[in-house]
Amino acid sequence: MQLIDRYAYANRLRNIDPAQKTALAVLVIGLCLLLNRPAVGLVATAWMGGLTVVRAGVPWAVVGRVLLAEGLFLVLAVVGVALSFSTSPPPPPFRSFQVGALWIGGNPASFSLAGLLVSRALGCAAAMNFLALTTPLMDLVHLLRQLRMPPVLIDLICVMYRFVFILLERMQRMHTAQQSRLGYATRRAALRSSGLLASRLFVDAYQRSTRMQTALESRGYTGDLRVLPLNYRYDARLSVLGAAVGSSLLLVWGFS
Amino acid sequence: MTALLEMDDLHYRYPGSPAPALNGATLRLEAGEKVVLIGRNGSGKSTLLLHSNGILRPQRGQVWVAGQPMSYQQRSLREWRRQVGLIFQHPDDQLFSASVAQDISFGPLNLGLSEEAARQRVAKAAEQCGVTDLLERPTHALSGGEKTRVALAGVLAMEPLVLLADEALANLDPWMRLQLIAIFEHLVAQGKTVLLATHDLPLARTWAGRVVVMDDGRVVADGPPQHIFTDPATLERTGLDCVVAQAGNRIDSIDR
Repeated sequence: MQLIDRYAYANRLRNIDPAQKTALAVLVIGLCLLLNRPAVGLVATAWMGGLTVVRAGVPWAVVGRVLLAEGLFLVLAVVGVALSFSTSPPPPPFRSFQVGALWIGGNPASFSLAGLLVSRALGCAAAMNFLALTTPLMDLVHLLRQLRMPPVLIDLICVMYRFVFILLERMQRMHTAQQSRLGYATRRAALRSSGLLASRLFVDAYQRSTRMQTALESRGYTGDLRVLPLNYRYDARLSVLGAAVGSSLLLVWGFS
Repeated sequence: MTALLEMDDLHYRYPGSPAPALNGATLRLEAGEKVVLIGRNGSGKSTLLLHSNGILRPQRGQVWVAGQPMSYQQRSLREWRRQVGLIFQHPDDQLFSASVAQDISFGPLNLGLSEEAARQRVAKAAEQCGVTDLLERPTHALSGGEKTRVALAGVLAMEPLVLLADEALANLDPWMRLQLIAIFEHLVAQGKTVLLATHDLPLARTWAGRVVVMDDGRVVADGPPQHIFTDPATLERTGLDCVVAQAGNRIDSIDR
């Protein structure tokens, strides 16, 4: 998460209007879901991964690592779709093999369905990654505000986002302190220490939010976290690229 | 002459606490003063500061700003907090936004300024605190000293007449402390008043024009540093006698 966040703030598309980047991601996700062909998902993955690397300047290794993590999840999730498990040999067109008393089988239809699911989800994930790796949360919040999301929800998102990092830092410090007193020396101690850490973190979060309330009130807080909007620029080339992505996905769909 | 900020005979007891935190504390601050507030842990320094801008409401006593008795209505609180700025030891308690520029803009916007005026305030305060280069950075990627300066900019953007800092110099390296003290000097040169609550006795001795000593929820001594640090009764009462002799000697030898 910290890795993604770092690139979100330091990439070449940072100052592009978040609405434009979000529109591109939404377009690709929409097309992936509508156009039911495995090739569409694969082409979308290639496009969005490529844009993240070439246009935004995020290293290959980072884009690949994030996508790989998501890919592993996907593969695990579709095992149940591709394979069927039974205690008796399944009828054709299933091809199967036996492990002990268990028959594991699959047929061409289930395999191609699993392939479609993976490629479709991968295309959507690549589009989301593009957005996540090029757009900091504050920009997305700015967009939500323009889309008239209720201010209370927006304030909640902002403060939660800040708190994630504050608590993460605090947790790391407490963890180090526990380790230096052998808190994780045995499995038993580790269990106990992590429990203590979690409960302590709750108390800490509460106390910290009280202090933050005080500090905000000192600056005139009356229930609304109003801040200056950021300045963005519109990128014509990204729109052209977006049109190219969209039409190429349609083409792939038509020919497959 | 009317005082800029006057806290008169304040009494305050935290809910559920057996002893009062403030027990008749009185403090007057004039324009252009450099004040250091010292006292043991638990002597009531922080509680007193929380009364200075109406975060806490005294159970007895009255706070005056520029000769006006303060009320705790929402509207007068806003004006009050514009005039009296407060910063805290942990900048993470104050910085709620993931964007430095947006965090600094929070106070000015709460004052009801237009976006354009707020933008100017942000630029000015950022320059004053040397954080102009950090405006585009995410808050959680800053170092401790950078966070402290951003937190200070967030308060200075409201252009307070009095600035009170609760241990804001703790945990900073010597160079960063000097930077902050230079900022405080600059404020004083503009006719503003700066009060630092600190355990840093050498600072109290060399920087302050006036030293205020608290003990048991009361101001027990108040005067120029050379008087405070040579009065054995005060030193003994506040437990400062153990260090002042050494610190004083050291500074004397540097002075010569």
